[in-house]
Amino acid sequence: MAEPPLSDAELIARVVVRDDRHAFSELVRRYQSAVRTTLRRLTSGNHALADDLAQETFMLAYRNLASFRQEAKFSTWLYRIATNAYLADARKRKEELLGDRDGQLADDEGADREDDAPGGSDLERSASLSMDMARAMAVLSDAERAAIVQCYHNDLSHEEAAQVLNCPVGTVKTHILRAKQKLKSRLAAWARD
Amino acid sequence: MNDQPRSAINAEDDWLEAALRAEGEAHRDSYLDDGGFTARIMSALPAPVALPAWRRPVLLVLWALAGLGLAFALPSVVLDVTYDVMRLVLGQSVSFSGIGAALVAIAVATWAAAAFVLRDD
Repeated sequence: MAEPPLSDAELIARVVVRDDRHAFSELVRRYQSAVRTTLRRLTSGNHALADDLAQETFMLAYRNLASFRQEAKFSTWLYRIATNAYLADARKRKEELLGDRDGQLADDEGADREDDAPGGSDLERSASLSMDMARAMAVLSDAERAAIVQCYHNDLSHEEAAQVLNCPVGTVKTHILRAKQKLKSRLAAWARD
Repeated sequence: MNDQPRSAINAEDDWLEAALRAEGEAHRDSYLDDGGFTARIMSALPAPVALPAWRRPVLLVLWALAGLGLAFALPSVVLDVTYDVMRLVLGQSVSFSGIGAALVAIAVATWAAAAFVLRDD
């Protein structure tokens, strides 16, 4: 009879106490998809950068696993590390570029597309909205995008998102409000339709 | 987002809210194939700390030295315990099976102590 899979807590204990590499690889296998897709959202679809940040996330998780208090879910802890890695990288890139030129480009592109009339079948409309949404997300600030990704894509509550983003709950709500205002303006054609 | 009451959502925002929720559901339903990612992480981890080969015998010797040190540091205690044990043993009727049981007990205790010291870390 096959053994039941070990819980996250059991795997973490094995890594911390015995430096069990097999247990850590099981944790990576369990959460790689969630962490990588989250980072792909945060990086506006830059898969290579997202995977590099995901690798950094798991390396940091391995080094700091002993400090994980199990007060939050392991996934929430990982999202926090991933978001911090993304925000640190975004800051570094902005310093290098002296301004977010990508955001400006996305901004311009979004303005061009604002009055595109959405049409076609439901499937085409859905795909088209998804693409427009991705472009509109690129216009958001890093913190606004992170708040939207945690609350809508990772389905976290405002309190959990505040833990992940390391900021007060009120700040998360403000980021969401501002992000939605920007998205509404970028996706105005979809509202009229 | 699971803590925002639907009633709180402005009707004007409804389409955006629905679109964000739909995006979120699609995101959560999608599974990204590992594609060697886990293997890449595992190969990037620092090498496990290798303990030197001389560590185990040295530990065994240190335990033995600690026992001898205790015996020398507290000779009266060791002598008292030894006398009491001898008195107990001599007061009993000695049989071969008793001696055998005592030897087995000593062997088990020695083996357990050695196994503890030489255990895999």
